[in-house]
Amino acid sequence: MINGKPHSVEAPDTMPLLWALRDLLDFNGTKYGCGKGLCGACTVHVNGEAVRSCVTPISSLQNKEITTIEGADGNTLLKTVQEAWYDEDVPQCGYCQSGQIMNAAAFLSKNKNPDDDAINTAMNGNLCRCGTYVRVRRAIKKAAEKINGEQGSEN
Amino acid sequence: MERRNFFRITSLAGGGLLLGTYLPFSCTTVDESIVDWEPNFFIRIGSDNTITFICSQSELGQGTSTGLAMVAADELGVSMDKLKLEFGPGSSERYGYLQDTGGSNGLRMVWQSLREAMATTRGILVQAAAQKWNVAPEECYCEDGHIHRKDLNEKLPFGAVLDIASTLQAPREIQLKEPSEFKYIGKPVKGVKTKWATAGTTPYSINTKLPDMVYAAIERCPVWGGELVSFDGSKALEIPGVVDVMEVEPTELQQEDYRGGVRPGVAVLATSTWAAFEGKKALEIQWEMGKNGLKSNDDIRKELEADYQTKSEVVANLYDAEKLFPRGRKYISGTYDSPFQVNACMEPLNATAYHQGHKLEIWAGTQAPQLTRERIAELTGLPEAAIKVNNQPSGGGFGRRFFCDYVEEAVILSEKLRKPVKVTWSREDTFLTSKYHPLCKDYWEAALDANNFPVSIRYRGSINRPGAYRCYPYSIPFMSHSYLKYKEGRLLPRASWRSVFAHPWGLGMECFMDELAHNAGKDPLQFRLEVLKNAEIQEQKQWPWVGSDLYPKKLHNTLELVKEKSSWGRLRTNGIFQGVSAMCYNGSYCSMVADISVREGKIQVHKFTAVIDCGLAINPSQVKGQIEGSIMWGLTALLKTPITVKEGVVQESNYDSYDLLRMQEAPDVEVHIVETQDTPSGTGEVGVPGVAPAVLNAIFAATGKRIRQLPVTEELLMV
Repeated sequence: MINGKPHSVEAPDTMPLLWALRDLLDFNGTKYGCGKGLCGACTVHVNGEAVRSCVTPISSLQNKEITTIEGADGNTLLKTVQEAWYDEDVPQCGYCQSGQIMNAAAFLSKNKNPDDDAINTAMNGNLCRCGTYVRVRRAIKKAAEKINGEQGSEN
Repeated sequence: MERRNFFRITSLAGGGLLLGTYLPFSCTTVDESIVDWEPNFFIRIGSDNTITFICSQSELGQGTSTGLAMVAADELGVSMDKLKLEFGPGSSERYGYLQDTGGSNGLRMVWQSLREAMATTRGILVQAAAQKWNVAPEECYCEDGHIHRKDLNEKLPFGAVLDIASTLQAPREIQLKEPSEFKYIGKPVKGVKTKWATAGTTPYSINTKLPDMVYAAIERCPVWGGELVSFDGSKALEIPGVVDVMEVEPTELQQEDYRGGVRPGVAVLATSTWAAFEGKKALEIQWEMGKNGLKSNDDIRKELEADYQTKSEVVANLYDAEKLFPRGRKYISGTYDSPFQVNACMEPLNATAYHQGHKLEIWAGTQAPQLTRERIAELTGLPEAAIKVNNQPSGGGFGRRFFCDYVEEAVILSEKLRKPVKVTWSREDTFLTSKYHPLCKDYWEAALDANNFPVSIRYRGSINRPGAYRCYPYSIPFMSHSYLKYKEGRLLPRASWRSVFAHPWGLGMECFMDELAHNAGKDPLQFRLEVLKNAEIQEQKQWPWVGSDLYPKKLHNTLELVKEKSSWGRLRTNGIFQGVSAMCYNGSYCSMVADISVREGKIQVHKFTAVIDCGLAINPSQVKGQIEGSIMWGLTALLKTPITVKEGVVQESNYDSYDLLRMQEAPDVEVHIVETQDTPSGTGEVGVPGVAPAVLNAIFAATGKRIRQLPVTEELLMV
């Protein structure tokens, strides 16, 4: 399942999810950065957990729920993070930002009220050559505020 | 949907960019109901009111597409939300020779022409509406994509007057908007590229997919100057998805080194990128490594040192420095070392080419779409008119994408196959077999008077003609010698790297200024103010694309401001110390102060305060973003492992061995922008070269240690 819809591919078992998404299924939002799980540009969610798709073979994903950056519709948390990213004008070249956003969303699903240290630790594996870190930090705080605000108003 | 086009020729007032360009009539009609009007090469207006800004310059994340769109929106009278974004193909016929984007020139090169083109377009639309309403043009104005009537509460969308507009002459006189009328310019605005990036929909060239397209990866010679002896592709061909293996013949590096320099290689052609990468790993190749196969980066450094011992001539002599230098009572010197670096753009280099024999189409994120088109014409023998370069937004460029070797590779393969071929570099390729920021060694010396005040400065280093770029702002007499040379050829081919020559230049100049200040018993910030105060304006005589005249007063002003904003000189607690730097680059000025602490050989950068004068700041959010990013870039060069070479082979192969600055290490950044209405200049690079010296000068303040080399290691701090 990718973004709530079933998909199947014909490919060798060892093919990483990244390349199945990009070359076979046309989900181009997920990016190739390093191929070794070092930079975080390829981050997606598998059953809600942030996973590096460049080192995740497709054989390990049968009947799993995969969410990519394209899956924000119907995923309130992901949508909120994207909006915060937009509001804070985070991206420069934007290439690492799908991975940054996916990682931040998975992090916020576990830590609803993070401080700077927690954000720094959680995002430390997502590299950005343009150097947008200051704004990534701001955007995560903004998204957290928004999430907490919305939950507060429901209570 | 195919749309019908009707074009017209618009001449611009003031000798604008589009003067003398002629548009063909195009009649590829399908949907008769929608008609496009393209009065110039920056804008397309549809009868359905679709308004598309066609960005001539490259977007690499620096935000030029948004900045220029804001200029277009303001001058034309359109809402930014309604403005669609496209990128113009590489074309000197369309954009003169001003399209290639480098040296922080994106906005600087076209902003005036763009304003004039949009004001002209607005003038035509107003005339058309006036004709339709049968009123005087003075009774009409443009706003929000509509022409409004002043006397009545009536308006027409642009699309409703195209039939008349397309028949009109451009007005003889155009009226540019007054700054007070700007709705977007000067405000933090988010553009189309921000929307794309947050949704993951940016059309990077790495996403290119065409019918019948072949995915290619290339194993290149690991040593620059080496040759292919033989290869065996049989194991690669056993990998599922691999369809062919073939040689890639090298292209010679040209005098203008943006062109050529494709390494000898072996290409694996496959049905997916991954299969091509897997096939590449299975290749068996014999290389002849050549002379560079015996060399390491230390050998290169020694060659520069040896050249320093030889005679050389003075090529720049400001304020009679040459005559004054021998008159010093004392002399001090500093030698600054900066290593090879790589751009490491997050989007690996890639390009797609489709050579059909008589014509050729390219899809690539490139900083130099015109140069690329010219070069590919030269390479293939096709006329430029038969070559279309679709320029796409890049996942980082930083100078590397000004060099078109990666496009040449796709063309070479597609010429053989006569199919669309996408060449994607693996991450390892982008580290091991790319082009690099050169290793530099720079010698700074000063003659001092009896009070230890410098009376003349001498520079002899690796930078070619620094004087030509107008990058020395101070009033202390200064001379520069011809640049240091290697014994034979380069160990690694050169690429531009964010701020290019200014990085080693800034390292030397701004650290040395600090040394001079301390030596004279002066506060380093105050000292700089003193030697900027009476410095003369330096005229920019060469290469207008590198910027305008140098105004020391502007730099002085940024220093005054950063002094205030950083609370310079006030007593600090918690072991925090400050360092300062001031840089001018291609018409922009930036002073910065670093707050750091050093504990047990570990340096922590707490905060940067920066002040920039970039002329009129079109989009303050993006200006600040560029300085924030420049600081992270500079800190990576200062603190992380650079590119090293052993026996001709680069040792850093991925982000584990060539680490970038990370979130935990990112300092707080405060950017202040000087308010001015001066012509906008660039912001992508001026923030980079001052970073290392500001921190190194702060390290001196904290520890008394003068570090004159990059990177700063624990070892250096503990000595």
